Amino acid sequence: MPKSQYISPSDAFASGFLTFDKIPLCQYKKTLAQEKKLYTKADFLRIYRDMRIIREFETMLNEIKTKSAYNGVEYTNPGPAHLSIGQEASAVGQAYCLDINDFTFGSHRSHGEILAKGLSSIEKLTETELYDIMKEFLGGNILRVVEGKQENQGDVKELAVDFLLYGALAEIFARTTGFNKGLGGSMHAFFIPFGIFPNNAIVGGAAPVALGAALYKRSNHKKGIVIANSGDGALGRGPVLEALNMASMDQIRKLWGMDGKYADGGMPILFNVFNNFYGMGGQTRGETMGFDIAARLGAGFNPDMLHAEKVNGYDPLAVIDATQRKKELLLKGEGPALLEVATYRVSGHSPSDSSTYRSAEEIEEWKAACPIAAYRKKLVEGGIAAEAEFDAIEADIIKRITKICRMAIDEEISPRMDLDSQPDIISSIMFSNQSVPSLDPDRQADVLIPKEENPRVKQIAGKARYAFDDKGEMLPKIKQFGLRDGIFEAILDKFYEDPTLIAYGEDNRDWGGAFAVYRGLTEAIPYHRFFNAPISEAAIVGSAVGYAMAGGRAIVELMYADFIGCAGDEIFNQLSKWQSMSAGILKMPVVVRVSVGSKYGAQHSQDWTALTAHIPGLKVCFPATPYDAKGLMCAALNGTDPVIFFESQRIYDIGEQFHAGGVPQDSYEIPFGEPDVKRVGTDVTILTIGAVLYRALDAAKKLQEQYGISAEVIDARSIVPFNYEKVLESVKKTGRILIVGDACDRNSVMRDMASNIAEMAFDYLDAPPVVFGSRNWITPAYEFEKYFFPQADGIIDVISQKILPIPGHVSTVNESEIAHIERSKEGI
Amino acid sequence: MANPVIMPRQGQSVEACIITAWHKKVGDAVREGDLLFSYETDKSAFDEKSPASGTVLAILAAEGDVVPCLDTVCVIGEAGEDVSALTGAPPAEVREAAAPAAPADPNTKQPQAETAPPVKRDGDILRISPRARALALQTGVDMTRVVPTGPHGRIIQRDIDTALDRGYHATVADVEAYLAGGYKGSTAMTVSQNTALEPAPQHPDTVYAVHGVADFGLYEEAPMSGVRKAISRSMCASLTEMAQLTLNASFDATAIMEYRKHLKANAQLLGLPNITLNDIVLYAVSRTLPDHPYINAHLVGETFRLYRHANIGLAVDTDRGLLVPTLFGADTMTLSQIAAASKDAAERARSGQLSPDEMSGASFTVTNLGSLGIESFTPVINPPQTAILGVCTITNRLRADGSVYPAMGLSLTFDHRAVDGAPAAKFLAQLCTGLENFQLLLGK
Repeated sequence: MPKSQYISPSDAFASGFLTFDKIPLCQYKKTLAQEKKLYTKADFLRIYRDMRIIREFETMLNEIKTKSAYNGVEYTNPGPAHLSIGQEASAVGQAYCLDINDFTFGSHRSHGEILAKGLSSIEKLTETELYDIMKEFLGGNILRVVEGKQENQGDVKELAVDFLLYGALAEIFARTTGFNKGLGGSMHAFFIPFGIFPNNAIVGGAAPVALGAALYKRSNHKKGIVIANSGDGALGRGPVLEALNMASMDQIRKLWGMDGKYADGGMPILFNVFNNFYGMGGQTRGETMGFDIAARLGAGFNPDMLHAEKVNGYDPLAVIDATQRKKELLLKGEGPALLEVATYRVSGHSPSDSSTYRSAEEIEEWKAACPIAAYRKKLVEGGIAAEAEFDAIEADIIKRITKICRMAIDEEISPRMDLDSQPDIISSIMFSNQSVPSLDPDRQADVLIPKEENPRVKQIAGKARYAFDDKGEMLPKIKQFGLRDGIFEAILDKFYEDPTLIAYGEDNRDWGGAFAVYRGLTEAIPYHRFFNAPISEAAIVGSAVGYAMAGGRAIVELMYADFIGCAGDEIFNQLSKWQSMSAGILKMPVVVRVSVGSKYGAQHSQDWTALTAHIPGLKVCFPATPYDAKGLMCAALNGTDPVIFFESQRIYDIGEQFHAGGVPQDSYEIPFGEPDVKRVGTDVTILTIGAVLYRALDAAKKLQEQYGISAEVIDARSIVPFNYEKVLESVKKTGRILIVGDACDRNSVMRDMASNIAEMAFDYLDAPPVVFGSRNWITPAYEFEKYFFPQADGIIDVISQKILPIPGHVSTVNESEIAHIERSKEGI
Repeated sequence: MANPVIMPRQGQSVEACIITAWHKKVGDAVREGDLLFSYETDKSAFDEKSPASGTVLAILAAEGDVVPCLDTVCVIGEAGEDVSALTGAPPAEVREAAAPAAPADPNTKQPQAETAPPVKRDGDILRISPRARALALQTGVDMTRVVPTGPHGRIIQRDIDTALDRGYHATVADVEAYLAGGYKGSTAMTVSQNTALEPAPQHPDTVYAVHGVADFGLYEEAPMSGVRKAISRSMCASLTEMAQLTLNASFDATAIMEYRKHLKANAQLLGLPNITLNDIVLYAVSRTLPDHPYINAHLVGETFRLYRHANIGLAVDTDRGLLVPTLFGADTMTLSQIAAASKDAAERARSGQLSPDEMSGASFTVTNLGSLGIESFTPVINPPQTAILGVCTITNRLRADGSVYPAMGLSLTFDHRAVDGAPAAKFLAQLCTGLENFQLLLGK
């Protein structure tokens, strides 16, 4: 909502017709004679070889899956194999146009795309570059397996082809010598040095991730384009449509570019749909979709209609022609683009597919149209090469694939991870745990004004960094340096320190974030580093994942925790898993800021820490003081792991009441996982998660003053990781613990902590660890919130009812076991 | 009119007893005074006779059950009588009528729960927090005097603290026994079929080849009796928690042997009971202890209880195990009173008729293995006492001049935490001197 763009009624109500340009459908008409001017004989034959390698690779896997043997090599592979027999020309045609600066992302059916991009990269790289890549990758582990086993010793390109095929197959067979030590597998294989980014087992999952990689190129002025490959089935997925829209947003061409300092231009991304007409068995044309022709979608996203086009994916030369044109558009800044590559999967969705959804005649007709045979026939008839030359290529490929297969199943040279001797090996790669203050220290960060001139910085300078004055009196809220100021300071500093840092979300820029955390950033940070995202949580979080994969650092914001569900796959399957699925090759320096609401009812007031804490691979924190918020944000931003950073709307304006000396102006880190004792006591421990800290402190005060009970209050601060030592130390002292938070009680983080504490401190306990969370209801209107969220009086009631009966105390809430059992019976 | 029969309370410290045997079953006719059931505490066994004549209408606890004292264990009355009011079960027809109505109003549950008095034991469960349990064992609190104030009548830390503040102490063994008392245990010996003894092999020479471990590895499993468990805990606690050491000495027993011979010859004349050498030693101990308050004492935590009188525990070997009845105020008794009291106590110990109260409260213990020919040993102190005297057999020794004299051994184990070596040795020396000059001691 920049003020520079004016919306007038006359524009809004202007009369007329919206028109669309024509979308070309299979318009490739070049003759072989024309093509001969573009390709050498070697080029023509290499295209044939690459298609034939993919066909043989997939055939080998199909034989192993269905017959447990390929060409005399016996093996059983229990893992998945989503094969692309029939789609070879589409993959090879696309890859032919790309170099290692061009990044590809794929789907669960991407073996062919990986091999094609790899073979294309091998062709384009020099021998020295190739050998260095192989030598450095995973300490040369894969190179050592394949080196010296070539017929033409010393031919680095031959060696590199073996390296590529072996690395991919060993990955599919879950071997430590695979590209990702066997932790990715068939559906998640990739090889970054060749620009092959992860394929993705979630249909459509790669689209927002690929958008993030394009965003990295756009925001950091990097070379190359990004291709988001998907099937036609993925076009039914919300995140794909969100990514198409976000890639097309007007501001990229209209507002980005720092007043001409950098070239304007659209997002350098090609959404490439390999349309094989089926999403598993669902027929997208005629059954599960309404677009008829997938390329039609382009018309819905921007006036360029995404330069949409449909091309014959059974003709590699047609695919090259189209992809090359799209790449040129993107490099000119006219992206994004959409290309539908019509193709067909002759093999089943997976080897267990009995093709109940299509007729034998249909399959036979497509088999007869085989792209590899047709291409070969065309080249023979065109006099480019003789049958014997093709036969020789074919024989060589079968021999090579047999050799690679034999090596990949050999337990000696291709061992699996040994979890018996190294039981913690997977634990050790769940997080990267590095501290890298700048991901590109050589580059100057793009900013608009010096930090000192920032209006927010000036405003903060007048605030008190400690909540109390010299006499111990609390200052007025307006004068206190608040929690939102702490988060702002950490982020502003990082914007000047790390040129790769970007931040975006809904209403981040001119509004300053819905809760004013970002006020002052608009003046300081250019659009390409800090912008308003469309209301597309999946694309927001998913693109941050791709941005980090490509080498940057991102902060994205979900305005309310309640919107976590809108970015479910992106948080639960993408953000959390790529570090470990890549065996530690990828880093994921992404902070997802999540604001927890109140007052706004059932869909805007939920603490969903438990959902994120449940997923392995995410760090989760919920600071409740300015000092902790700034320190944890600094730690999150210096780190290389994904962090879900919960903030409470109840306390954005709270001042620092605990850290004597107030919140330091300079950067400092609070280590993840360390809870903090906010009040020392001896009789009962209250462990708090998030903003409930202040209600617990009120309860502690009342317990002391009215009943002489001394409560120790510990603020969890972090949820994952979490160091129990300090809590156990407290429980050993007090013998009693109540865990409080604003999340609904059932399956909450509080329940998890209570269970762990009961196990670890059993002998010291004078009462079971007790949990007091919110009711398992919808969050009611603000006026009823005291019946829903834990309050100070309720905390005392629960202590009296379940831990330490307090003579004379009259309870206001019924937290008895009988009440608990009755509620549980009702599902409450 | 049906009569409930309750589990008697045997002593203040007894919370519950184990039923060891029923001598009647439901439907049997009984007469007042008939043996009804047997039961035992940690320390003693008892028989309960029927308080009324009639028919056994209900038995509410099985053999091996732990029954809280004063709870009804059976009902005696006329055949066909309704005993539901006594057993707690509604009569059959009432139960049927009430059944549909009961679940209709779930709200009734809560007032019931709220008005129920705090219960210390819920069936066999003793409600006590792990922290309170550990504290009880560590401090030796008198669990029978702990008032639970936690949720659901749970004993929590503050309840132990309160009892300790009020000075309610007990031995650690007592606390352990109490804490363990909530659990079911059976004293019946069980012999599994597999372990039934087979006849001895006919040809011992071939045993190893033919039979081996299969035959000689057979054993019977016998559970620890309540008495055995109590001794076991007490002795272990004694040896792990105290700094015990034993001093051995002997004295010339000529004087007491002469005196005893003299008594034997004239006992009837004076109407005196049979006075044993052990009685003489007990008498000497009773007259020596008052001069040594830290030996006639308990040590609880960091506090001594210095007894004003010599309450001497008398170690008695019984079929059930070691039992120690107390001769309260032995320092006030004459020799003949001591002899009579110790004889009575020993007999009642052997027949299992001692009350638990008689078996506690000793300030010092005397144990005698002399009759079994033991020349010296290391008696184990009965906590929280600070010492125990072992009486050994008489052996002949040579004097410096070559003459032979009967020497009786005494082994004094004391708790070095409470008493140092020299004062303990002085006690022993004074005791020896007194026994060697027994005629003089009788005047004390």
